[in-house]
Amino acid sequence: MDNSAKHLLQRLVRRIPVSMLKSTLDKWERLTAEKRKSLDFTQSKWIITQELVALCEKSELTVKHITELEMIYLTAFCLFVCFLFPDDAHSVELMQFKELFKSHLRELQRNVSVKIKKHTDQAVWIRVAWGDGLSSPNHLKATYVVLYLQTPYVFVNALSSKHKPLLLQALTLSTRHQQIKAANLSGQKLTALRDLLMRQYQQVSQPPLMRHRMARETFGDGMLPALQSAVFKLETKFKGPTNEAMTQRDEPFICSVKFSSSNLLESLRHCASSGIASTPVTPMLSSIPLKGRNYFVITDNVLTA
Amino acid sequence: HSGVVKRRSKSQSYRRSIRTCFGVASGLGLTPALTARRMNTSRKAPRSQNITEKVKPEHLELLVKTEWQLSYVTPLYQFRHTQLKSYSRQLSAFIAAEKQEGLAVEVGGLQNTFKVSFSVLQGLAETSDDPETVLIQVQSKPMFARQEDPPKTVWCGWLSCINGNPEYLQSLPKDFTCLPLFCSKGAEDLSSLVKSWLQRTFDCCFGPLDINQTTLQWLAALWTNCHMETNIQNLKMIWTLPVLPPLQVTYTVDSDDVLDLWRSTRESSAEKSREAEDEVCIDFSEVTRFMQGLMSHFYRHFRVDLSAGELNQVSSALGSAKVNGKIKISSSRYLISIFSLLTECALLKMPI
Repeated sequence: MDNSAKHLLQRLVRRIPVSMLKSTLDKWERLTAEKRKSLDFTQSKWIITQELVALCEKSELTVKHITELEMIYLTAFCLFVCFLFPDDAHSVELMQFKELFKSHLRELQRNVSVKIKKHTDQAVWIRVAWGDGLSSPNHLKATYVVLYLQTPYVFVNALSSKHKPLLLQALTLSTRHQQIKAANLSGQKLTALRDLLMRQYQQVSQPPLMRHRMARETFGDGMLPALQSAVFKLETKFKGPTNEAMTQRDEPFICSVKFSSSNLLESLRHCASSGIASTPVTPMLSSIPLKGRNYFVITDNVLTA
Repeated sequence: HSGVVKRRSKSQSYRRSIRTCFGVASGLGLTPALTARRMNTSRKAPRSQNITEKVKPEHLELLVKTEWQLSYVTPLYQFRHTQLKSYSRQLSAFIAAEKQEGLAVEVGGLQNTFKVSFSVLQGLAETSDDPETVLIQVQSKPMFARQEDPPKTVWCGWLSCINGNPEYLQSLPKDFTCLPLFCSKGAEDLSSLVKSWLQRTFDCCFGPLDINQTTLQWLAALWTNCHMETNIQNLKMIWTLPVLPPLQVTYTVDSDDVLDLWRSTRESSAEKSREAEDEVCIDFSEVTRFMQGLMSHFYRHFRVDLSAGELNQVSSALGSAKVNGKIKISSSRYLISIFSLLTECALLKMPI
């Protein structure tokens, strides 16, 4: 473990209150349970720091791992996800993104310190320390952003309302998207959120050309008959990846969904080609043109996964 | 369904200042927030309150089962609850004068006379800092109507402050009355005239109070929570997806099932917090998980990502709320709770 990593770790541990240290290290998962157990948190902070540095050295951890720890500590309060839209925008390559992001941000706010780093798992980590016309960047209250350039997801933490529009605009422009929306997802663990989304995303991420083709194949080409609505009565068991209590329930989750539009088939086709609906299109939706129906009752026997 | 009722000290919700996820408007409107205050990230669950003792039945009848257009208004300078008769006369005269100027007033045509009445709508102010609600009604009578023909109420509005943030209210200079929530219904041109008069008379400012994604999500969760006490029949949510032509998705969930989902998202967090609570307190992270659950179930069937769109409307048997700032309360029992939430939204719009 080189000196810069050691130094970073020491500085970081100094900032983390002892009361939070144990839980933060547990979430970090870079030290085995056995190693973590060997730490005595009743000792003085200084001693704990020394012991922790020794453990990290033994585990041959690097700066990258330490910055992960920093991220976990800082994101213990709020990490939220944004979604860049539309997700079939041409993806940008890293060098280009770095230059664009830095220049856009600096145009919007003077005296910002931006550090961008690519990690081995395709993640791009950005650290922004904000200053303004009068003061130099404040490194104690930096904003962290993690994005995966091939996906529309952006993870953000520690962002004040003053800086939010600036950061989001810089992100949108430098990734060549049109807008960015909050994805109604927040949490404490970056890796958990990332995995949840990537699992979902993998299901939708067919390349744009393929999506366009499938959309046309499913719904048709050119002008489509102006169907205005479709109704689905759902009587299936609840399906949600993270909710055990509900998925164990025997009774169906009764709900109904109505899709309406001035031209429903065109809207659905556009959903498929833009990635809002994942392709291949689910039989639920493709049944509308294929079976020529717009009223369906779906039970667990009828639903095809 | 019997709700477990626990009390948590009110100050808790003001102390926590965890950032929440606000829906980021498309196009990144770069207008900076006028105020650094944030919406409470944690609030008490609405409890059924019988306000029929506090509020006159004719007032209650006026308030419920009606769709109101919401606006916010900045504090009124030198407004006196004792001068309402005078204000009534002044506003009537103002409307008549504007008509003479040739300003077309939609309702009834030029031969109508308009009579304004200001009155106090008692019973809604919850705390000692809340000023009493003021009701404004505009009645119209065709000039050649018979004496016995009753005048018709053509426009109605009310200014209120329900459970307003005491810190903010107490910080205002003495001569200001804060009634930030303005609800109106009736012809748009009369709304403009009333607002115009209020603006020039009390040196205040109006603006539209859009009900944003966060508030709509709160309402979805809060109304679902109410099902423990009062049958909400179902929870209906309407999204629009940004495709061409725009696609509207109406997702309606049976009340018992949606309550089970809500309870399951709460249980996982209740386990973590061991604090003694004697009033059910809801944190926004639970609301987010609840919405995630609903969207996941939807996704599993249709493989359509609702979060790519915008939630436009939430409704239940207890009322409905639309993103363009329209609200309807169908049950007087939850009126105070819902309008407290809206007062909070209105106060967030106040410039410091």
